[in-house]
Amino acid sequence: MAEFKGLDGVSDKDFDPYFGIARLDEQLKGIPSKKIVLISASPSVGNEVFGYQIIHKNITSGVKVLVFLNRTSPQSYLTDMKEYDFPANDNLFIIDAYSGITGIKSDETDHIKVISNPYDKEEVKTKVIKEIGNGYGLFVIDSFSLLADFFDFSFAASFMNDIKQEIINKDSAAVLLFTDWGYEKQNVDKLLSNVNSTIEVKGIEKRVIFGQYFAVLKCDWVEEKQQTFSSVLFKAIKPGGIKVYFPKILVTGPTDAGKSSFIHSASKNAVSVDKLGGTIALDHGTVDFQGYRADLFGTPGQERFDPLLKMLGGEAIGVFLVVDSTKPEQFPRAVEMLRKTETYGLPVVVIANKADLNGALKKEEIREKLHLDSAITLVQTVAEDLSKVDPNEPTKLKEAGINEALSALFKQLT
Amino acid sequence: MEGIKTGFKNFDELTNGLDYRKVYSIFGNKESGKEQFIYKVVQSALSSKNAIVYVLTSKSYSDLINEFNSRGININPYLGEDFKILDDFSRTNSPSATDNSYAKILNGPLDLTGLSVSLSSANSDFVKDAKPVINIFDNLSNLLIYNNPVTVYRFLQFVCGKAKLAGITTLFSIDIAMHPPEVIETIKNLSDAIIDLKLEEGKRYFRLSGTSKEVLEFKELE
Repeated sequence: MAEFKGLDGVSDKDFDPYFGIARLDEQLKGIPSKKIVLISASPSVGNEVFGYQIIHKNITSGVKVLVFLNRTSPQSYLTDMKEYDFPANDNLFIIDAYSGITGIKSDETDHIKVISNPYDKEEVKTKVIKEIGNGYGLFVIDSFSLLADFFDFSFAASFMNDIKQEIINKDSAAVLLFTDWGYEKQNVDKLLSNVNSTIEVKGIEKRVIFGQYFAVLKCDWVEEKQQTFSSVLFKAIKPGGIKVYFPKILVTGPTDAGKSSFIHSASKNAVSVDKLGGTIALDHGTVDFQGYRADLFGTPGQERFDPLLKMLGGEAIGVFLVVDSTKPEQFPRAVEMLRKTETYGLPVVVIANKADLNGALKKEEIREKLHLDSAITLVQTVAEDLSKVDPNEPTKLKEAGINEALSALFKQLT
Repeated sequence: MEGIKTGFKNFDELTNGLDYRKVYSIFGNKESGKEQFIYKVVQSALSSKNAIVYVLTSKSYSDLINEFNSRGININPYLGEDFKILDDFSRTNSPSATDNSYAKILNGPLDLTGLSVSLSSANSDFVKDAKPVINIFDNLSNLLIYNNPVTVYRFLQFVCGKAKLAGITTLFSIDIAMHPPEVIETIKNLSDAIIDLKLEEGKRYFRLSGTSKEVLEFKELE
């Protein structure tokens, strides 16, 4: 069985198989059996990485996956998947409807079934339906739009009906990858009306692409009152796959509270502009956590840099407020910094650092002194190894506290 | 505005070069010199600080680089900087070929989505660097053979439309002998300007239509 671990851990309402994509699994709780999901992408963004990631999530969770492939050869497909760090295993089976087009011979193996004449509607249909009948947890078509291009939309629609019937018979589920090249609306609408869920993948573009997002347009197995679907920014990272993306999260707090330590401990590639340990311009780090990616921006703490704070806080969508648990006298300054970065009121997680030092205040004392609303999460962090603390370098903080903080803020942002 | 010089003296004098943000189709048969024409445009455009995305459908990127070198065009300093190759051919023969800093390996002629995604990302990179960009398709014939022509038209409409929005110039080369007349006609309709090339009695000729300075009679290319 697949296991879904979102920010909240496993829920008993999860279905099997899963998307393996943050937010999608949280919103839809996986793909129930007998359901068809269509992922419709703009041609400048594409959806192939969604396919790779869904396939990989399931084959590594013991779900048998069958892929109808007409976009490229099975070998190229597997190479591509591997480049995203999604290697194949014995649970992956491919119907090769490509090699027959290029005339390059493809040998049938246990895991690769070959359609000898991909131009032959009947062969395509019969072979696919028969193979689904052999029992798979998930059936993927990459690409369904190419199939419609190859034949026509009326074939695509009738083929979809046959697939639907067969996955209902076999308690399977299907994911269809579709590129919308600007087809006639009525053709597309007809296809969409026949699937259980539609997910749209698009770019935010003018002259250049400056963002990519996905959004659930429809899903018939999530109760209407729980349908709070919103557009989700993402990045497709090689290797790594689809990460839900938060472009700017601010890390602020008084001097020497541990902002740089937090950023450096949470991210893998942090840079600081500093002078003898104190950050004087900014910190930046990229965090990857549970299928999410976030860019963290740190502010300096000293008051003489206050004129910069407003600028640094602009466009942030969430805040980590870092305080030193041993220095309650700095707490008013901490709250002032939220105001000066103009981030007061944004989702915030307070990080009480140095929680293990002598004189550190308890959680409740800190809450009280900061006048924290009960809805605001406070997380304690400590150095991994106190003997290694160097005042001129960011300190490595223990992972447990870091993860608790990331999880708490990301949950508020989604 | 000055156009993009092709490196052919009389072509540039008579036509003012290629206009930015237009879509050009280069038609000709096998011997007409389409590749030679394109290679020279590449050399000339790179030396005048344009950036090029080169979509390759009938040979591998290493073969392309060899062709440049054998013609005395030193492409190496531009590789990965101003010259990026989208190789839609290599995986036909070696499915496990992977990308390097200047060549992105695509999944073959049927994966037009993959091509469009890569093109869009390569273009974005160049446009963000404030470079004038040229997209070259060498050649369109291979895409037309493997796909339903209507699929290719939709693809071209999409990528050319986006290129225009971003101020990018597009060049396709098409082998006229390989396609029925209605396909050639549609490609013409999708283009802003047409360059016809031909070989006759050991000499190469061109004509150009669809720009402000047309050359409607075949002239020698020199």
